[in-house]
Amino acid sequence: MLEKPTAQVKTPAGGSGVGISDILRNWSVPIFFLVISIAGIIAARLDINYLVNEVVGRFGRNAFLVISLIIPVMAGLGLNFGIVVGAMAGQTALVIVTHYQVEGLAGFALAAVISVPIAMLLGLLVGKVLNRAKGREMVTSMIMGYFANGIYQLVFLVLLGTLIPMKDPVLMLGSGIGLRNTIDLIGLSYSLDRAMDWLWNGFVFTSVGAARLGPWRFPLCTLFIIGILCVLTTFITRTKLGQEMRAVGQDMHIAQVAGINVDRTRIIAIMMSTVLAAWGQLIFLQNLGTFNTYSSHEQVGMFSVAAILVGGATTRRATIWNAIVGTLLFHTLFVVSPLAGQRLFGVSQVGEYFRSFLAYGVIAVALALHAWQGRSSKQSK
Amino acid sequence: MFKRSILVIAALVLVLGVASVSLGAPAFKIGIVTGTVSQGEDEYRGAEYVVAKYPGMLEHRTYPDNFMAEQETYIAQITGLAADPAIKAIVVNQGVPGTVAAIRKVKQLRPDILFVIGEPHEDPPIVEKEADISLIPNNPARGQSIPQLAKKLGAKKFLHYSFPRHMSMNDLATRRDLMEQECKKLGMEFIFVTAPDPMGEGGLPAAQQFILEDVPRQVAKHGKDIAFFSTNCGMQEPLITAILKAGAIFPEQCCPSPTHGYPGALGLEITEELAGNFPAIVKAINTDIVKRGMAGRMATWPVATSYLNTVAGVEIAKLALEKKINIKDMAAVQKVVEEIAGVSMKFERNSEKGQFYRYLVGSIIFGKDVK
Repeated sequence: MLEKPTAQVKTPAGGSGVGISDILRNWSVPIFFLVISIAGIIAARLDINYLVNEVVGRFGRNAFLVISLIIPVMAGLGLNFGIVVGAMAGQTALVIVTHYQVEGLAGFALAAVISVPIAMLLGLLVGKVLNRAKGREMVTSMIMGYFANGIYQLVFLVLLGTLIPMKDPVLMLGSGIGLRNTIDLIGLSYSLDRAMDWLWNGFVFTSVGAARLGPWRFPLCTLFIIGILCVLTTFITRTKLGQEMRAVGQDMHIAQVAGINVDRTRIIAIMMSTVLAAWGQLIFLQNLGTFNTYSSHEQVGMFSVAAILVGGATTRRATIWNAIVGTLLFHTLFVVSPLAGQRLFGVSQVGEYFRSFLAYGVIAVALALHAWQGRSSKQSK
Repeated sequence: MFKRSILVIAALVLVLGVASVSLGAPAFKIGIVTGTVSQGEDEYRGAEYVVAKYPGMLEHRTYPDNFMAEQETYIAQITGLAADPAIKAIVVNQGVPGTVAAIRKVKQLRPDILFVIGEPHEDPPIVEKEADISLIPNNPARGQSIPQLAKKLGAKKFLHYSFPRHMSMNDLATRRDLMEQECKKLGMEFIFVTAPDPMGEGGLPAAQQFILEDVPRQVAKHGKDIAFFSTNCGMQEPLITAILKAGAIFPEQCCPSPTHGYPGALGLEITEELAGNFPAIVKAINTDIVKRGMAGRMATWPVATSYLNTVAGVEIAKLALEKKINIKDMAAVQKVVEEIAGVSMKFERNSEKGQFYRYLVGSIIFGKDVK
């Protein structure tokens, strides 16, 4: 699994080059991460079964969210930190579904349906703002996320129970105003991950020779849905809409002259991304099984963006493979680094400081490598 | 040559690594997960103490400083501990958000693991279903005891610092409401001030700076006889610093303890003799506070609650694994905790659905109760 980046060099996403220098240039960031991760695995003397279990789990939770970033990149909007807003839409749907106690896959499906109009509306608003901030989309979308967080808190902590009538002693604070900080999703827990258990429960527990494999558990249905999303995203890029998005992404002015409604195309891209992010957040939370009302969404934007960058994407070009490889590598590093830090230094808190130094330092290096990539590809032209 | 030296180093690292695998094997191991010393030291020092007390029995891990954002990493720390079959119990202090999810993940594969949670942040009715035992100061009851103490210290007004994330925690919100009622009863004005969330965009420094700047402002506006209270651990040290400077009143910290905020604000060095010796620490703080003319205006609990949660948590887990204690027996658990704290306490159970224990300890007023 970890050899993926080098194995995929010949895929179209890896660029057209096949020489060593081309491989290095196109995949320098993932290769760098791979090396760091392997070094970490050796330093941490990590149990490989634990590693596989964790990485598979985290891949299932995060891949959908990371893939939701691709369409805005294609349309020239850069990395959409605004997926935080989509995550809020997903959570709003979850609050509704939990309140009415719809459970299992039906509850999950209902939440997915409810989240669509909310996410579309929010996506429309974000898109309109971003159209007024052309050229500064990324920082604008990030600040929009913070701004939306304030509104989210206002709605769920103050307006709920006062302006919006709701009575639910389990979900709401003792005073009857506002939601509690934890919402138990036990009814929805693993509802998607295990929806295909009738086929195979995703359980691996065997041994190959002397090596013990497992117990691992693959979230089969979630992986299947992620697969469908990959196919759909690729499909969209080939439709007329996808071509228009590309044209807008390459040069807004030329696209405008060619008769493409630039603003509308950009808004559609953001709306799609927001809806996908809402669903991604639903997948994330059904796997965790509880949801922190006021903070679960905050972690979404930054980590998804970091993951796709680790996969070798840039603010101008992102592919499915960037998302998949990036999610795997980024989360491998996050699983490995705390233990590596602890084993290397022997003191647990120094391990934690080392971990944040390593994890975030490496992301910074990844960004620097992008600049290097960009410069060397310019020179080679 | 270069190549060879790298090989030699690599080989050395491997050999040393293999050799450092713990010697001596107790019948079981206990995992401890605490924060680092960035926000509050007590829980971490407690873990250091028990690790030294039971060599080879404990595995200490720390959760991310930025635990709200890195919840998955936090969960991975706990599932990582549970991946070791020798681990039979896990003590988490503080039980930051994500704990319930982590317990559920672990119990799927290892239903035998015992979980002891100190200071759970998540909602008590959910935590009590999943954690085997939870230990936390009785926050709703403190809603009455803190204003009463403030009155005793001479306060005419009572100021409460917090922010939305904390006010969405049911116990803290209830405590705030009770404080307001109690203040009304005692004839004190209750003031609520929203401070920046240390987990927000500005981080802890922004929150600390706000406290340092706001306390003098409030004292200038309301006079010196105002008591301050904040719900956040990271704010205690700047709060005490600012109160000492302004001459206001400080009944107790969010997590009451002589070592929480006081040593840092007073510039008191915790020497090797002082570490872990709470009566000596209390005495040293007392001398300093009296010297600064603040006698009778500052107080705390004689025990460090976060320290206690870690140490008592491990002790209870150990006794439970040795089958020497029934965790459902509140009186037995109380006895263990009291023995470690060295003071008597009032224990209370959240509900019969689990072992969510809340405790209350009497306060000590510096310059008055300490001899």
